[in-house]
Amino acid sequence: MTGAVTHEGVPLVAYLAVSGILFLLGLLGVMIRRNPLLLFLAVELMLNSANLALVGFSRYWNTTEGHVFALIVMVVAAAEVVIGLGLVVAVFRQRMALDVDQMSTMKG
Amino acid sequence: MGERIVFTIAAASALASGVLVITLKGPFRATVALIGTLLSVAVLFLLLAAPFVAAIQVIVYAGAIVVLFLFVIAYLGERPVAEIGDRLGRYAVFAWLAVLGLAIQGAVVLLTTDLPGINDDPAPTGDIGSPEAIGRSFIDTFLVAFEATSLALLVAAMGAVMLAKRAVKSEGGR
Repeated sequence: MTGAVTHEGVPLVAYLAVSGILFLLGLLGVMIRRNPLLLFLAVELMLNSANLALVGFSRYWNTTEGHVFALIVMVVAAAEVVIGLGLVVAVFRQRMALDVDQMSTMKG
Repeated sequence: MGERIVFTIAAASALASGVLVITLKGPFRATVALIGTLLSVAVLFLLLAAPFVAAIQVIVYAGAIVVLFLFVIAYLGERPVAEIGDRLGRYAVFAWLAVLGLAIQGAVVLLTTDLPGINDDPAPTGDIGSPEAIGRSFIDTFLVAFEATSLALLVAAMGAVMLAKRAVKSEGGR
């Protein structure tokens, strides 16, 4: 940081780094977990990191579009969680183990 | 300067809670750790001049979605099947390799990008994060996306009802 800057803000690259690390954490969680509930939590982590990047770029370009995308991502995340948790409950009531590796058939 | 201190605290808390989310074995504890990440990211949204998105993050994410998780975890209860292990070691190695590769790619992109001013203090912004600006953007520019998301919510609600109905029927209920 050189030069006489009057107000000390946070550069975009810092937000992108945080967003990237959060995304990698979520990706790791999705790949190493087998409990579907923990898997959904890791997916939420990835969606949140994407939101952070969207809002960060929105600040950078001084537009509102990133905020709109972030809100739409939140709605899609809510829909995904509703369906996913519904599936988890349905699987649970079939007296099956909560293990994504064993849920390999789709039958009503 | 104050902005940087807040950013550092929020970012560290978000990453620490994120690590807890994927390391804690119990779903309940992992969900509580997720609340920490969501609130920290909401603070980062506030720093990014996005108060409306931060408020929605707290209300919808930390409120509704996490409560939904907690309801389902409470419904499933403590079960011995929660003890299932993680993936076998040789697959976990591939997961780590993929994450490491992506991390290196991301670091290279962030360090070599020639996007102007990405490492500088951000320019002051106008009114981009207020509910009014976002509402105008939704109605004027993104009306189709707005309606499509409402349709997605409707489909999700109907799907959840159908799933629950089928599960009850399979247990001999109505």
